[in-house]
Formats: sequence, structure tokens, C-alpha cells
Amino acid sequence: MSSSPKGQGVDITALSLQQLSQVKKQFEDELTHLTNSFTQLRAAQAKFRECLRSISTGVSSKVEGKPILVPLTASLYVPGVLADSDNVIVDVGTGFYVEKSTKDATKFYEGKIDELGGNLKVLEKIIQEKTDGLRLIEDVLRQKVLNSNAVATAS
Amino acid sequence: MADIQQHLQALTTDYQTLQQELQNHVNSRQKLESQQQENKAVQKEFSGLKGDANIYKLVGPVLLKQDKTEAVLAVDGRLEYIENEIKRVEKQIKDVEDKSDDVRAQIIKVQSEAQPQVVA
Repeated sequence: MSSSPKGQGVDITALSLQQLSQVKKQFEDELTHLTNSFTQLRAAQAKFRECLRSISTGVSSKVEGKPILVPLTASLYVPGVLADSDNVIVDVGTGFYVEKSTKDATKFYEGKIDELGGNLKVLEKIIQEKTDGLRLIEDVLRQKVLNSNAVATAS
Repeated sequence: MADIQQHLQALTTDYQTLQQELQNHVNSRQKLESQQQENKAVQKEFSGLKGDANIYKLVGPVLLKQDKTEAVLAVDGRLEYIENEIKRVEKQIKDVEDKSDDVRAQIIKVQSEAQPQVVA
């Protein structure tokens, strides 16, 4: 963490207090937005992981023939038997569902998780950069306030 | 003096309305973008499917079986529609931006004209 501004086009030490606060607010807004997106991506990834787990533990030949409880609502279950342990129907988005073998479905979900993982990595890097930028601005802002206070007391 | 004040007030209101409009357009642009992404993902998924794959479409609470060609056509159609919508909204965004730049320039002009009078 350095207190000298990097060559980002605009020298932030040259900005007025008001401008600086404005830039700071803008950075904070962006950061909130990005962090929210990050949490959402994380949640989506966790959901796909859950699907993978469900396929490997819930839809296998071991389960076939055994009675299971199927949730109709969060609190209402009916007994049932797994009719087909080889195929599942996967939601691929925009209201379309595709019948896949469990192997293909696993591959599909793994692909989704990897894709999200890649996005998360990119986003994390951007968030890191923004956080650094924000810290830099806060430093300069603090310096400025201190300086102006010193000038005020001196005069 | 009151005249200028009133004029400035009107311009500021205009500016705020334009900014609000801009925000709305930007929001719809974002929504279109996410829809486009989702449809593209579906399109990609379809392209990797065999011709005899079972595809279902969610209609209300039931899944209806659909032909692959039909499903592919539907997604292609949607993507085309979304693309056109994006173009349309982007043009709207540009128009509103131009307008709001215009109003901002006017505000600055009126303000700078009023300034010397205040000093004098």
C-alpha cells in the first residue's frame, strides 16, 4: 500500500475535498454492487454443487426400488419410488428442460460450476483492485482533511 | 434575478427527469443483457445435444415435450429479438444522454451568466 497516487490519468491529490468525497462515494457504490454480484455468483455455484450431490447420492442404482419421500412443498412429503436411476431432467435455463443421463448431467453441472468459478476469479480480482483504489482515496482524503485542519488552526 | 432562478429551477427539474429516464433505460439494458446471456447458454447447450434428445418446455406448472428443431428455433428467435431490443435501448440511452448533456450545458451557461450579477 503506497500513499503516492499511481499513474491513473488523474492525480487524485490534485482534487478538492468535495470531488474526492464524490469519487470515494462512487467507488463505494461500485464496490457494493460488485460484492453483491460476487455473493450471488457464490450462491449459484453452491446451488449447482447441491445438484451434483443430489445426483450422486439421490439418483443411483442403489436407491432404485427403495421407497423415498418426495417433497411436494417444504413441509409436505409423499412416498414414492425412483422409476429411472439413469436419466434426469435438467433445467438449462429460460424454461427449457433437457433429459440427460446422470453422467451427462454431472458433466453439465461441473461445466456450470467451472464457468462460475472462472467468473468469480475475475470478479475477485476486480474487487481487490477497487478496494485498493478506495483505500488510496481514503488515505489521500484523510491527509487532505488533516492538512486543512492544520492550516485552519495555524491561521 | 427571480427570472433566472426560475429558469434554473426548470432546467434542473428537466435534468433530473432525464437522469431518471436514463437510469430506467440502463436498467432495461442490464435486464436484456442477462436474458441474452441466459439464452446464449441455452443455445450452446442445445448445440451439443443429439437430434433425438428429449427437450421439454416449461408451460405454467407442466413440462411439455418439444422437438429439438422447434426449441432451437425458439431460442434463436428470442436471441434475435433481444439483440434488436438491445440496439433500440442503446439508441434511447444515447438520445437521453445527449439531451441531458445539452441541459447540463444550459444550466452551466445560465449559472455563469448569473454569477457576475451576484458579485456586482
